[in-house]
Amino acid sequence: MNASTTEQAALRLAGVTKSFGPIEVLKGVNLDIRRGERHAVIGPNGAGKSTLFNLISGMFSPSAGEIALNGRSIAGLSPHLINRAGLSRSFQITNIFHRLSVFENLRIGILARHGMRYGLFRPIARMRQVNDETTEVLARVGLEARAHDLAGDLTYSEQRALEIGMTLTTGAEIILLDEPTAGMSREETAQAVDLIRTVTEGKTLLMVEHDMSVVFSLCDRVSVLVYGSILATDTPTGISANRAVQEAYLGEEAA
Amino acid sequence: MTNMRNLILGAVFLVLLIAVPPLLDLAWQNALVNILIASLFALAFNLLIGQAGLLSFGHAAYFGIGAFAALHLMIAVENGLPFPTPLLPLAGAAAGLTVGLIAGYFATMRSGVYFALVTLAIAELFHSLAPRLEGMFGGEAGIASMRMPWASFTFGSMLSVYYLVLAWVVICGLGLWAYTRTPFGRLTLALRDNEQRVRFLGYNAHASKVIVFAISAMVTGIAGSLLAISNETANYSLFASAVSSQVVLQTFVGGATVFLGPVLGAAAFALFSFLVSDLTRSWVLYQGLIFVLVMLYAPSGIGGVVEHHIRNRKNLDWSRLAGPYLLALAGGLLIAAGVVFLTESASILFGEEYAMARQGANGGLPAYELFGLIWKPLSFVTWTVPAALLAGGGVVLMRARREIGAIWDSKGHGARPAAKSASMGGAA
Repeated sequence: MNASTTEQAALRLAGVTKSFGPIEVLKGVNLDIRRGERHAVIGPNGAGKSTLFNLISGMFSPSAGEIALNGRSIAGLSPHLINRAGLSRSFQITNIFHRLSVFENLRIGILARHGMRYGLFRPIARMRQVNDETTEVLARVGLEARAHDLAGDLTYSEQRALEIGMTLTTGAEIILLDEPTAGMSREETAQAVDLIRTVTEGKTLLMVEHDMSVVFSLCDRVSVLVYGSILATDTPTGISANRAVQEAYLGEEAA
Repeated sequence: MTNMRNLILGAVFLVLLIAVPPLLDLAWQNALVNILIASLFALAFNLLIGQAGLLSFGHAAYFGIGAFAALHLMIAVENGLPFPTPLLPLAGAAAGLTVGLIAGYFATMRSGVYFALVTLAIAELFHSLAPRLEGMFGGEAGIASMRMPWASFTFGSMLSVYYLVLAWVVICGLGLWAYTRTPFGRLTLALRDNEQRVRFLGYNAHASKVIVFAISAMVTGIAGSLLAISNETANYSLFASAVSSQVVLQTFVGGATVFLGPVLGAAAFALFSFLVSDLTRSWVLYQGLIFVLVMLYAPSGIGGVVEHHIRNRKNLDWSRLAGPYLLALAGGLLIAAGVVFLTESASILFGEEYAMARQGANGGLPAYELFGLIWKPLSFVTWTVPAALLAGGGVVLMRARREIGAIWDSKGHGARPAAKSASMGGAA
């Protein structure tokens, strides 16, 4: 192991492999996410991006390899323990509490941050700190006007904003966003990019994204995942100049 | 404002519950005790289905456990253990909580159908074990004890038992309501909506579900122990699947999405069985019909319909609605009369007594008595009456439903619970 880079990495993947039966979806992924950077994973459909996120966040265990969060192994831990260790993710398909109000959707995560997971002996209405922090997140994602509406009644882009808000509530330093602008109009995408930029200020961001303009305007570094392994990791300009990447991925789009 | 009004309404209701029973006879006092116990059972059960989204088909287990625990404590008190009689339900609470933690640990590993099946299996386990365990459950005969006096209370009369039960039901009901206002109460709703996301927000979803399950089992155990105190006896039939399914029916008819809905359902069913079970052997069939109709036409239950009306009370023109609602009620009663006529005729004609009467009449079809009148099985009139009731009721009900629908739609509401409540009248 290279000691100097290990210290730097907020998240480090070494030789991460995942097979579903005979199909090897990830074939030894190596990836270092530096503390405080905004990092995108791009790649064609079926390259294994979602599987990669599911392994990091604990939905699946890797078949082989090591995943370390701040130097501590998290491979195979259950999702709630990974979240408590400081890594929070959003979902590609909106994954909210449809029959709860927007405010309550956010408050669940705030309660978790304060360790009030089994609070049974005090009414929630009197928890000033929790309710104030919920209001704060509500304002950051621009949903104040919708606070008391059911989350299931929000528009699609509002639900996407709520999804990002929920990901922030637990106070994690490392945020994983899975295609946060998927299905959005150009205008909505621009708003979402602004939102992601402000809310991830001072945090480490790893995102899967298909929209190259989003990647190029938001991210410090980009990794290209093709057929289950990382082809290259570089700055956005470096990646677009990379001949192998052009051939394997960007070239397809250009052609 | 709303809170203040709810508080006053609740206080008035409580005063009635305290002041009225002394004026009633013993049978009614006993019926009220059973209604209160069924209400608490349904409230505890609804913590799982209404709030956590977990459908248990085996809550008889915790109800029975609570009853037996209380009886064992009562026997110990009879033998000299100094324990205050009013606190006997604590034994049911402790037993329900303990068994609930263990059973819940396994049941909540899965959700949906698998959860329901595991709970069913656990209850069946108790049902088949109990008759064999003489020491714990008293074999097939069960166990019995007596309420011992405590302080200046003798607990000899049904009325004193009623007040003891009322106190416990009110306290537990308030506790369950307060539960919905706590962080864990809100988490319970989140679990119902999306368990996966709960996990990714840093919660141990399994542990949380075990706690919800155990709390539900604990309060169910209290309800069971209240029954034991009232009856002074219990046997293994408390674990029967009929007990488990009864609370499911009551909760859904009452409305699982409204906090007090299960109380409405439990009260309606307990009252129904008290009033009707002496009159006809078909009362279980009628209960089933009511359940099917509510599920078809008012899936949110009586409580859901009531809540929908309360929420829209200011947008509705009640003077215009009153007529069609009365019409719907009339149509429902006509249909109900037709259904009852047919059901009762069938139960007479296919019954043993009638078979004997036929033998006396050399295989002919003698006339039978129903509602104080004599009917001939082969007479045209006998079958015209129910047919006319059903058809007439159907026409009236359809017309009422159209009118009610039009009035609700004109207020810009898509849902039409009015037609649903009318259908419920049809079965009652």
